[in-house]
Amino acid sequence: MKKSAIAIISASFILLWSACKKEEKIVDPPAPDNEVITTVRLIAVNAADATDVDTAQWRDLTPNDGNPDLSQANLKLKAGAVYNMSLTFLDETKNPAEDITEEIHERSIYHLICYEPSSGLGITVQRTDYDDNTPKLELGLQAKATTTSAASGTLQVSLHHQPSGKNGTDCAIGSTDAEVTFNVTVE
Amino acid sequence: MAAVLMLLLAHAVVSAQDCAFRITGTVTDDHFHPVTGAVVFLKFDASRGAATDTGGHFTITGICPGHVELVCRAMGFTAVSLHADINGNTPVQIILSAGANQLAQVFIKGRRVTDLRTVSSTELRGLEKFRTAGSSLGEALKSLPGLNAINNGPTISKPVIHGLHSNRVLILNNGVRQEGQQWGSEHAPEIDPFVANEISVVKGAASVRYGADAVGGVVLLNPDPLQEYKGISGNVYLIGQSNGRMGTVSGTLQGRTDSNGLQWRVQGTAKRAGNFRTPGYYLKNTGMEETDFSAQLGYHRKGFSLGAFYSYFHTRNGIFEGSHAGNITDLTAAISRSRPLTESVFSYHIGRSYQTVNHGLAKLSGSYQFANESKIEVTAARQGDLREEYDISLPYTNDPTLLSKPQVSFKLITHSAEVVYHTGTHRRFSTDVGISGNTQGNVFRGIRYLIPNFRTYSGGAFAVERYEKDRLLLEAGLRYDYRWQRVYQRDTRTLDVYNTTLTFANPSGTVGASWHFTDKLQVSGNIGTAWRAPSVNELYIHGVHFSDATYQDGDSTLRAERALNASLTVKYDARKLRGTIDVYRNHIGNYIYETPQAQPVTLLSGTFPAFRFTQDNVVISGLDGALQYDLFSSVTLQSRVTLVRGYNKTADDWLIYMPADRYEHGVVFNLHQWHFMDEPYISVENVTVLHQSRAPQGLDYAAPPPGYSLFNAGVGFRSDIGKKQVRFDFTVANITDKPYRDYLDRFRYYADNIGINFIIKTKLSF
Repeated sequence: MKKSAIAIISASFILLWSACKKEEKIVDPPAPDNEVITTVRLIAVNAADATDVDTAQWRDLTPNDGNPDLSQANLKLKAGAVYNMSLTFLDETKNPAEDITEEIHERSIYHLICYEPSSGLGITVQRTDYDDNTPKLELGLQAKATTTSAASGTLQVSLHHQPSGKNGTDCAIGSTDAEVTFNVTVE
Repeated sequence: MAAVLMLLLAHAVVSAQDCAFRITGTVTDDHFHPVTGAVVFLKFDASRGAATDTGGHFTITGICPGHVELVCRAMGFTAVSLHADINGNTPVQIILSAGANQLAQVFIKGRRVTDLRTVSSTELRGLEKFRTAGSSLGEALKSLPGLNAINNGPTISKPVIHGLHSNRVLILNNGVRQEGQQWGSEHAPEIDPFVANEISVVKGAASVRYGADAVGGVVLLNPDPLQEYKGISGNVYLIGQSNGRMGTVSGTLQGRTDSNGLQWRVQGTAKRAGNFRTPGYYLKNTGMEETDFSAQLGYHRKGFSLGAFYSYFHTRNGIFEGSHAGNITDLTAAISRSRPLTESVFSYHIGRSYQTVNHGLAKLSGSYQFANESKIEVTAARQGDLREEYDISLPYTNDPTLLSKPQVSFKLITHSAEVVYHTGTHRRFSTDVGISGNTQGNVFRGIRYLIPNFRTYSGGAFAVERYEKDRLLLEAGLRYDYRWQRVYQRDTRTLDVYNTTLTFANPSGTVGASWHFTDKLQVSGNIGTAWRAPSVNELYIHGVHFSDATYQDGDSTLRAERALNASLTVKYDARKLRGTIDVYRNHIGNYIYETPQAQPVTLLSGTFPAFRFTQDNVVISGLDGALQYDLFSSVTLQSRVTLVRGYNKTADDWLIYMPADRYEHGVVFNLHQWHFMDEPYISVENVTVLHQSRAPQGLDYAAPPPGYSLFNAGVGFRSDIGKKQVRFDFTVANITDKPYRDYLDRFRYYADNIGINFIIKTKLSF
């Protein structure tokens, strides 16, 4: 009987050690086809003067560590003008950079982009494009910005994911996929 | 056929041949009312016997050490027998069931519950256990004094012992440490409570016997002993509840090939629920489904016994749509709403976000009782845990394989082994010694990074010494644990894999005493320590934790937590009045928690409050009480109270997420027999939870909710149909359909708790 006890002990230790595959040593690389938003690019074209173009860009190539590159996150607009704005979302961790704007277009029925100028900044922004819902609801990849007088402030641009309850105006619905702030000077 | 249950006791046996031991105990019905005039005697020496007094108590003296078979008979009840290894004065609890063919229950008091006999403990069994059938483990246990539940909506619930939960509470499934992803508040224990007919809870630090992590306590799920007699028996549960239109089916079949043959049991559970309803609206995507099964084999002959056990748990849980937040702006908007924006309809559909969990446990065990009555027990087990979480936001890609993948997945494989040797009792001393070891490999896969892969090796050795004389029990134990952990990560820039190794070594100990002042009054005191190595998320998490919209940063320099817990238990067990009061003070050094950082983190997806794991010295103290008083023979008043105070001594502030004061008062009206019903009862209960006023300021997104008071009522009975038995219970929970929010429910930020709920439970035993 003592032999059986010893047999059980050895069997259990064999079970214990033999079955260890070292799977944990293989660390998955970042998912190859996953697209992360690294860059939000805002292009503003003066509706009355196609040569008056400014581009602002908010970029963070290491999207998880909280060190964005804000050197180009500045937009300069003329007072008393109307600008057509278009928004591009990029994944610049890929080479060449992946344009995520297309996927937002494809899933436009549950996305909404919101523009929020800081108070005192003489600017109003209106979405000009629509999604594929019936009836069509606002989307916001295209917008019209109307400036009044010279001032400086910020413009917050946010991309909302609204799988249920999208009404084309309410930004509080759903969850936020992107929320960036540009410095804006109107002169 | 008489129900015979045998207990394979995890304690020592003797060589000393002086027949001077006593078996003391109580005999009750399954409402825990004492049974007067029951006869308890040794099967092969009927002269050694006693009858119970009016309190159901009995004492048999002159018991020799070694194996005994004890028989208990009482008018109107099925006779039961109990096998026990006697190595000292042995307390026994016998629970009888009326009628011809019911499974009665027999317990060796204090022993089967826990291997540490002076630490405070509590059990869920008998009728009380039946009345929690169909609930998750956390929900089932929260009615016990000293326990609460931390919830993530109506289906995800985990037990809280003395204010502590998750990695600080150890769960033992059939003697094996449950190893899953216990670190998140939304990671419920991967266990089917139907696997055990009895659940015991050790309240307080208990690392000496159970190893690391037993800082708050230990939950032990003990399946009944396998069937001793030849033939087949079983039971089926059918449970339906109105809220969530939830249905549960669970069944057990067990038997033995012949009276010396192989014992077996198979058990399975299936559950399904749809959207739960608060008073006023449905909670979208809160459905769940669960399928579990277990199988067990046993063989014993003379001193030799072998067992095999396998259990499998699978669940898919919807995550309430209104709780999804992309960043702090979303979260504060959701909190400020009086009700969620999501549509309010009933559906069984589970959409994204949801989580799936699979957990398998295989266990082999053997024991041998040597000629000198000492005993060796060997256990080896393998567990696999796979948790996958699917977010509501799909990744920005058109790749269909990526779209169907979980955003994060965790796979944890654990192999463990334990050898325990119980010496005999020599001049009233007995010793348990043991060694245990385990190794774990964790593989994280995800579309986004959360925690790294790791491998751990842990080993420990312990010894527990006991001295028992008449009314006195002394207990002391020592343990040493060592843990090696290597973490594998990928550098985010160079993509090279690198590793970091950490080691932890900790002694732990316990001393305790228990004194029976009279047969009715027992006082126990214990001082014990426990420790816990920082978990991988506390060390290395880096990124957004979506469920609470925070940016979390681990700290790889964290040290192990160490708890020093002192507890005092007074038990009074008389005919009319029965009660237990526990008081405790748990000092935890290097307690790990998240502390807010001054600067929020700006990511492309918005601004997130930043938290970093840090450690401080904290004290958690409290009082648990349970009292039953028989006003008349058919009317019992019962009260339970759970009070917890948690304080951070380093920061000089209250601890966050400590349970608010909880009081339960009830009246049970019951009869012995009424028409075809055996032991019918009607119960009315009030549960009052106070406002948590002792919470730190400014650390939480929303202030603790106001207190609430709920009423529950139930009726039930048992009935015998030939050789079969039916048990029935009908309960209405939250009768007044009161809207309320609980401080320990993470959903309190977004929605009310569930409203009125009608629950029917039936159990057929055959």
